[in-house]
Amino acid sequence: MMADRRRVNGPPGGTRPAVFASLSGSGTGAAERAQRQRQPSELRKIFLKTGLIPTASGSSYLEFEPSASLAAARANPKSLIPPSSALKLACTVHGPKPLPRSAAFSPNLVLTTHVKYAPFAARKRRGHIRDSTERDLGVHLETALRGAIIAERWPKSGLDITITILEAEDDRWWGDAPDSHDASWGMMNVLAGCITAASAAIADAHIDCLDLVAGGVAALVSDDEKQSSVAPKLMLDTDPAEHRSIVSACVVAYMPGRDEITELWLKGDSSKAALEGGDKRSGHEALVDGAVDAARGAHTVLAEAVRESLLKTVGQV
Amino acid sequence: MATLAATAAPSVTPSLALPPSQFARLQPHTYLLAHLSPPPASNQPSIRANGRAPSQFRVTSANAGSLTHTNGSAVVRVGDTTAVCGVRAEILHTDDIASWSVSSSSATNSNKRRRLANLGEKPTEEDEEDKEDAGFEDEEDRAHMQDLNLLVPNLSLSTGCAPGFTPGAPPSALAQSLSHQILSLLHSTRLVRADDLRIWYQPPNLGPEDLERHNESEQMDVDAGQGAGSEESKPREIKAFWVLYIDVMIISLAGNPFDAAWAAVLAALRDTKIPKAWWDIDNETILCSDDISEASKLSLRGLPIASSFCVFEADAAAGWRAVVIPDAEHQKAQDQRKKGPQQKWILADPDGYEEGLSQERACLVVDKPKNGKGKTVIMKMEKHGGWAVDTEDFRQLIDISGQRWDEMKRILDQC
Repeated sequence: MMADRRRVNGPPGGTRPAVFASLSGSGTGAAERAQRQRQPSELRKIFLKTGLIPTASGSSYLEFEPSASLAAARANPKSLIPPSSALKLACTVHGPKPLPRSAAFSPNLVLTTHVKYAPFAARKRRGHIRDSTERDLGVHLETALRGAIIAERWPKSGLDITITILEAEDDRWWGDAPDSHDASWGMMNVLAGCITAASAAIADAHIDCLDLVAGGVAALVSDDEKQSSVAPKLMLDTDPAEHRSIVSACVVAYMPGRDEITELWLKGDSSKAALEGGDKRSGHEALVDGAVDAARGAHTVLAEAVRESLLKTVGQV
Repeated sequence: MATLAATAAPSVTPSLALPPSQFARLQPHTYLLAHLSPPPASNQPSIRANGRAPSQFRVTSANAGSLTHTNGSAVVRVGDTTAVCGVRAEILHTDDIASWSVSSSSATNSNKRRRLANLGEKPTEEDEEDKEDAGFEDEEDRAHMQDLNLLVPNLSLSTGCAPGFTPGAPPSALAQSLSHQILSLLHSTRLVRADDLRIWYQPPNLGPEDLERHNESEQMDVDAGQGAGSEESKPREIKAFWVLYIDVMIISLAGNPFDAAWAAVLAALRDTKIPKAWWDIDNETILCSDDISEASKLSLRGLPIASSFCVFEADAAAGWRAVVIPDAEHQKAQDQRKKGPQQKWILADPDGYEEGLSQERACLVVDKPKNGKGKTVIMKMEKHGGWAVDTEDFRQLIDISGQRWDEMKRILDQC
């Protein structure tokens, strides 16, 4: 591979991440799987603040509350291996600004989204160049937001939305070997966070929207040893590090005011679900409803953050 | 420019009903000049448009260790400029270094004695005093750090931090230049000790044959094991190095990215914990312990603090129009006489607005050895873009940087 001459490159032979010796006898407690302490329908707390980046037209910073195990590990550090991680991301909005001369005429606002992980965002070091998952996240985010923005109010203009992920969610518990149930579950939580944060930043930039779009995640998880015997349970706002296996997960971008979903992304097998007696919904219906409930929860935080942002601008003028 | 100033100056009065924020955009140079040189009658102090005194830095805060997946991390905010730095340590096996066996065998032969002697005095090296021993050891440190690229700093501006930088594009010239400045400053200040990054292996003293062979070799070069005692049977060898990936994300850019980025790098390195690592002979690989009590912090050399300045000139083109007479001293004396009102201001820690209005920049990196009790030491001095700052000014800047050092040390010690 050609070395990237625009960056400072490491040793040409490459480096390897640290391998930790067997954890059984270390006594640091890192080998225990984190347990979910929340109720199935209880969401993590979200920290959302707008206007932290004054050079942008709109900006927001979002952080998920660390899980109980991570909070304990931070308060009383024993092991160098973090039990789980909590999402942290910054979002900026630049625009509306005129399109470059070379661009084709557009009667609507042209939306561009960029999602980039910081190199230190995940357990495995990320590259500097955007990879396919980051581009994929960008496309999903664009779909989620396009339906909410009233684009025809800004003809011939562009709007750039950039998200930098400083810390991402894990895809599974770090001690688990990759298996067939494996998928990038952490990415779905990241997308939900991106949607909520971007929505706050757009409102902070005073772009007209139909409603605030909030992101929410629900998943069918099976925490039992024998995965096949028991039908998976529905949980909201799952942290993949806290579950043995996630069978299926769904992320929605939802506008509560219009009861409208602008983006729906469902992964995995949702045919079986252990629902309460008398619940006639199919697995995937329950999953989507769960994700919408999670988005409603995120919306309350979002509305409060936008209200704060508005009060700040009113105070300025 | 002179006519502009004349016509624009009255417009500060509210009769034109132009709010200051718009005036600042339309006539930025005049706006800042009006702030810095208020009319003598008004009895106002000379102050910058952002309300700071010329030598005043922005409010700085630092917070370390908040990112989960890093060995060390820090967030530094200097006014509205925010830099996040994460340090990740990865392992470079000596097997992966193409030229290792060649370069190391020659080095170990010639240096065996010194290294063993060095082992004995290691505990005394603990105290903060920079007791750098022989020049050879330094030379080897430098070779290891620089030739093997053990420090890999990269700075990213494509985070949407300011409107000018398109995200997703390759690093801009500014980002490349800042990454390089950080790299060269890390090397020139020798902040990280190569010894912290080496992973050693002590071959065990196994059987009698081994011992015999060892005795033989000791006879061959008698002074090899001099101060090391009997447990130093075989010379220990380097099996791997830690490579520190130092990534800086500028989250928000409002002028002076270098100071913020360097402070973030410094705070993150101070926070960095390197796990205990050893060569596992059975697996032929390096294993690490995840126990935090066994991990060690980096012992950094000193605390170099960067302070940047920009020069705002009342008439920026004056220097270009001036006739330069070779007799510089004479010219200067004449200038002094001619000079009525102040013509230039050196502004510390410029924000984005001031950076756009000035050509000349100066950057000083200073350290105060012995925890601030020693004299200010200049680690780096840089000036470019003009000729307004002279030696006398630089003396003052060094004093200002020294004060900034005290302030930053307090902030970094708290985080």
